[in-house]
Amino acid sequence: MQESLDFNLLKMCADCGACYEICPSSLHLDGYDPRAVIKDILKGEHEKWLTSETIWQCLECHYCLEMCYQHYGFESAMTALRRLAASKGHFPPQLKKGWDLFIKSSRLGDPAMPARKKLGLPAPAKSGVDEFAAMLEAYKESRDQ
Amino acid sequence: MKEFAVFWGCTIPTRFPFLEKSTRTVLDAFSLPYRDVDGFTCCPEKSLINNIDPTLWKLTAARNIAVADDEGVDVVSPCTGCVSNLSTVKKGLKTNPKEAEEVNAVLKKAGREFKGAADLTHLVPFFHDKIGIRKIKDLMKKDFKGMKIAVHYGCHMIRPSHALGADDPISPKKFDNLLAALGASPVKARNKLMCCGQGLDRVNQHDNALHLARIKLRELKSEGADALVVCCPSCFLQFDNNQFLMEKEGEKFGIPIIYFTELLGLAIGFTPEELAMNSHRVSVEPFIKKWEGRDTTEASEAIEEELSDAGVFGL
Ligand code: SF4
Ligand code: SF4
Repeated sequence: MQESLDFNLLKMCADCGACYEICPSSLHLDGYDPRAVIKDILKGEHEKWLTSETIWQCLECHYCLEMCYQHYGFESAMTALRRLAASKGHFPPQLKKGWDLFIKSSRLGDPAMPARKKLGLPAPAKSGVDEFAAMLEAYKESRDQ
Repeated sequence: MKEFAVFWGCTIPTRFPFLEKSTRTVLDAFSLPYRDVDGFTCCPEKSLINNIDPTLWKLTAARNIAVADDEGVDVVSPCTGCVSNLSTVKKGLKTNPKEAEEVNAVLKKAGREFKGAADLTHLVPFFHDKIGIRKIKDLMKKDFKGMKIAVHYGCHMIRPSHALGADDPISPKKFDNLLAALGASPVKARNKLMCCGQGLDRVNQHDNALHLARIKLRELKSEGADALVVCCPSCFLQFDNNQFLMEKEGEKFGIPIIYFTELLGLAIGFTPEELAMNSHRVSVEPFIKKWEGRDTTEASEAIEEELSDAGVFGL
């Protein structure tokens, strides 16, 4: 956690909470409490959040980022936890499905052809799937080096 | 105007081709220099890809921008997510040459180079800034005087502002200005800028997604809104589809969800059929009926006056 998050900023954040007032998840989802999460991160006790639903409840609306006097935003802590959770294989099944589809096809679904025809839409442009696959290969190589 | 490619993204062509229809219809009506470009992929969706592999998120977005760079076009998108993702990566790479170098080392092997020359704009600020309210008014045949139309910006049309620079991230104006130009009466809503919450549906939290949709729809219902206008397929999905699902369970809202391009299309004289508006899950009928049944005399001049008073033309 120390590598991916600036603990000095986090400490300020744990004492602040100004953006609770505008965070949709803090306002409307029971149990969404970023400060509790941040306090645990600071204590080195973030493990328990990795399997929680909480970390996936941040909507990435970037409202906290815009409001934050540190231009930090507690979404940063949520993102760091989500990445760590994903790297350990903890993520919502739907997310995994989307990821697999993306890796295979370079996008999240194919154009709805019958409906297009009915609507008189032109043939869709070609996707960049081949180039994407080449990029993926190159990326894997560079990562493994 | 520089030629631009429309970045359709994944959701519109896959789930809502009728939104592509209305978008093309208005772009054609304004005789805009756009074309489809081969080679785009998913932008990619941030909450999905960036959470799992941030480097791949950057690479994919950078490659999409490189495609536009190579074609010599700007990019306009009717999806807020696409513009926000692409812009965030563009800004990051433009301000971090070392990272751009690393990205380009990989892209080179796929035959591309990220330069970041293409302008990336969402359709709403594009119409506001590049087409302008004057031009819209020139083409307008019908206004929406007397119709109470709420606006939902969609977080990613305006945030993160350091990357988008599209509007004020806390108190945006452009979408409101466009609706005012069309003569719509605004709806005051406390939750105006609240995130739609559709993201929750992508992480297996459907009940929470419904909960957030409900908060907004309830407020709009109590304010007597005739419709909610959006310009993001994700927000559209959230308010149209999830509203439909809640109505099926007996909770009635009756708020038609109208895409910006549909509203604009109606204003410049297209019929709901021509704009394929019958494909929504929550029927737009009540909105169209009320709109067509209004007494429309003297409306247009009144709007002109109101807009001038508000200084909208001076923007
Ligand atoms: S980005 Fe996440 S933490 Fe920040 S305001 Fe939005 S929902 Fe809350
Ligand atoms: S993100 Fe910024 S505004 Fe929000 S609690 Fe932390 S320091 Fe305060």
